[in-house]
Amino acid sequence: MRELFPAKQVMGFIFSLVLTAIALSVYFTDMSFQVGMTILLITAFIQAALQLVFFMHAGESQDKNAIYTGIYYGIAIALVTVFGTLLTLIWGYM
Amino acid sequence: MKIDHSQPLEYSTQQNQMNILGFWIFLGAEIMLFGTLFASYFTLNNGVGSGPSGSEVFEITPVLLETIILLTSSFTIGLATHAMRINNKKATLAFLAITLLLGLSFLGVEVYEFINYYHEGLTLQTSAFSAMLLLTLGTHGAHVTFGLFWGLFIFLQIKKQGFTVGTTNKSFIFSLYWHFLDVVWIFIFSFIYLKGMM
Repeated sequence: MRELFPAKQVMGFIFSLVLTAIALSVYFTDMSFQVGMTILLITAFIQAALQLVFFMHAGESQDKNAIYTGIYYGIAIALVTVFGTLLTLIWGYM
Repeated sequence: MKIDHSQPLEYSTQQNQMNILGFWIFLGAEIMLFGTLFASYFTLNNGVGSGPSGSEVFEITPVLLETIILLTSSFTIGLATHAMRINNKKATLAFLAITLLLGLSFLGVEVYEFINYYHEGLTLQTSAFSAMLLLTLGTHGAHVTFGLFWGLFIFLQIKKQGFTVGTTNKSFIFSLYWHFLDVVWIFIFSFIYLKGMM
């Protein structure tokens, strides 16, 4: 039975629950928008990285470099899309 | 077909390795897809018109329930892949079944949530905010729904054929897909729900 629950996966699961609890503090405690957003950004990106490395075994095969390149490229385009849109349509720029 | 026995079965042929690499590239494209949805949501989420805003309709209980269900299902599909690698068919099928049941309960809670939104006057046509909210949540929900059927068919194939070069490859790729849905949910949970209720 024990062999079915490898320590790495169990730790990853517990860590992701802890990160969720930290993110929830944004809702249950009274804090400014900036502090809240900072906490959310940190916990969300750590959690995403955790899933990728602990659960999805992104680095285990010999195509490791191609896999990471594809994922980083996807993330870069997504970030440029999100922040570029916010910059031009919401925040404005001088 | 050349089988390399030094690798786990799902990586053991050239074709299998290419399938896995190809799926990772697909996930890169999916990240961009959800990036555009988030960009539109952040741009339009103040456009509530005469309809309700996020802080008026979001409820913490169902959202938290969905988050924990999906996190747990991501854990169990990871365990299914591990059980597959130690060649334990019974455990793999059990973990896969638990994952699919958790996925189904996730959808149940999401449907309950959507019905609630409808009763509070928030539909796809209400405002720019409601349209983008439901489109983003709906795209994720549609992925989960698709994943349920995909996972069910893989469950049946492993049950019938056992672990082969084909079935292990498919179930590994399915596990990548399921983890990815959890990653997307983490961003929805943080930047749509928690940000909206803050």
